Amino acid sequence: MTDPGDSPVIQTFDLRKRYRRTTAVDGISFRVDAGQVFGFLGPNGAGKTTTIGLLLGIISPTAGRFELFGGSSARDLHSARRRMGATLETPNFYPYLSGRDNLRIVAGVKHRDRAEIERVLDLVGLGRRAKQKFKAYSLGMKQRLALAATMLGDPELIILDEPANGLDPEGMREIREIIRGLAERGKTIFLSSHMLWEVERTCTHVAIIQNGRIVRQQSVADVTSHGVAGLRAADPAALAAAVAEYPAARWVRQRGDRVVAELEDGDLAALNAWLARRGVHLSHLALEARSLEDVFMEATGVGELAPAATDALPGPVRHRLGEVP
Amino acid sequence: MILRALRAEMLKLWKRPATWVTVGLFTLITFADVLDDYRDALKDPEVSFFLPEAWSRILGEEVMIGFIFASVLVILLVAAEFSWRTARQNVIDGLSKTQWYWAKVLLLPVVAALFLVLRVVVGGSFALAGTDLSSGRAVMGGPQFAALGGMYLTGLGYACLALFVSAAVRSSGPAMAVWFAWFAFGERLLVGGLGSLFQGLRPALKWAPVSTFNRLNDYLRYDPEALRQAVEWATRHDRPVPQVEALGPAVAGTALWIAALLLTGWWSYRRRDL
Repeated sequence: MTDPGDSPVIQTFDLRKRYRRTTAVDGISFRVDAGQVFGFLGPNGAGKTTTIGLLLGIISPTAGRFELFGGSSARDLHSARRRMGATLETPNFYPYLSGRDNLRIVAGVKHRDRAEIERVLDLVGLGRRAKQKFKAYSLGMKQRLALAATMLGDPELIILDEPANGLDPEGMREIREIIRGLAERGKTIFLSSHMLWEVERTCTHVAIIQNGRIVRQQSVADVTSHGVAGLRAADPAALAAAVAEYPAARWVRQRGDRVVAELEDGDLAALNAWLARRGVHLSHLALEARSLEDVFMEATGVGELAPAATDALPGPVRHRLGEVP
Repeated sequence: MILRALRAEMLKLWKRPATWVTVGLFTLITFADVLDDYRDALKDPEVSFFLPEAWSRILGEEVMIGFIFASVLVILLVAAEFSWRTARQNVIDGLSKTQWYWAKVLLLPVVAALFLVLRVVVGGSFALAGTDLSSGRAVMGGPQFAALGGMYLTGLGYACLALFVSAAVRSSGPAMAVWFAWFAFGERLLVGGLGSLFQGLRPALKWAPVSTFNRLNDYLRYDPEALRQAVEWATRHDRPVPQVEALGPAVAGTALWIAALLLTGWWSYRRRDL
């Protein structure tokens, strides 16, 4: 097991992947240290799966390079992959083989014995269903089998691409508990997910990718330590438009009858006074904890804006309202 | 690692229903074919169906059916790995792309042998039933072993062609269509077309893969006694006398095609993303 520390387990340097007409990954550089639970976030088509494919050696980079456990040569990467467990997109197994036989194939590759197959099957709760063919498994069971295969060989680094995809809330909770258990054992986890609240609960660090570029990378503690202002008024659209013009507002978003804004100075009293001078009277004003969702939406420009409230605003203000120019 | 890879391939081969469907179907077809030969022997006093003479019929042109089944099975086993994305997952789990490809290569001798052995067992069992074992004659000798060796090489050639197509096309249905098209008419069309355009190429075009493999699939090449009887029969019935070429160039040509297909398939597989 790796001790948490400063040694990078994954490090990419200006990594690029270009297909004929599209650039899937556009010069990304990031670093994942030992013991981190690293959330890799981004909208669909942002380049998450391509990035993971590059790290796993199933896609060749067009330019740039990356290191796994400090090595970057073909031999280093091959031996590094023996210290990793990973799943990419959907669970990929032989449909005509049982869960146990599928793990026998994986165990053969990873040089593990039968006892370990039983251990990981029990760990993901598939011990009793191990004889059943993979094609007869439910999606949740398939995801759990993929996690079991990932854990074979007690890898130091675990890469999971959307592990909770298609699962019901109970299934998601189970997967989250397994991931937490792995994190508690000091494993380095690289987790790609759409589910922001899942990542916020599970991860220590996040990187947000959009259009093949990393647009934000920081610790989850940093993300949530900065508060945002939560406001309410009789006309939320007018309130959002007014707050967007406030000089200290970094960004503003309207959520139903609420408006949320990040302030550079965090001074709610000054904001209240400024709005009152403009004839906007608040029914509610409070400092709220910023969520990962706020940061994600701010970084990717995905918002819940009322178009009528933003169309008339000047460009820089619209940008602060969450639109990407 | 090679042994582990072979064990994994054997597990997949053994547990795959397609294996047993192809084996069952081929056994039925072989049984019907040999039964037909046996009936011919009962009707025609010039035809014998006891060992070792019956080998010329058991290891006749119909052995080709086994090579077709072997190729189909190789395509089903290899190309499906791309559809199921297990080819990708195996590499994620720690196999190198090279190890993955050569693990599939290990499968080819097994599959090629499987259908040849089935033909020998089904046909041989039938013929053995009518053989007088007390005569002291060996039921199988040097010519038969040589024929089996040559035909095994033919089967390997076909299996390599199937692996090459599977790695290039990466989907079972289209791969099977490409393989059949090449086997049934593609090669002949290409050779005919190129031969008429560039007459100087004609001698080389005779060594296209399927034509080269088929050169070894002629029992008369290996059994001088069977050849003598065939020539006698043809002369007596005013039919074209069978001609046989030297074995060496056919063996070398097949071996070269096997190497070329495996290496080109490997190169093509390695350079593409999974």
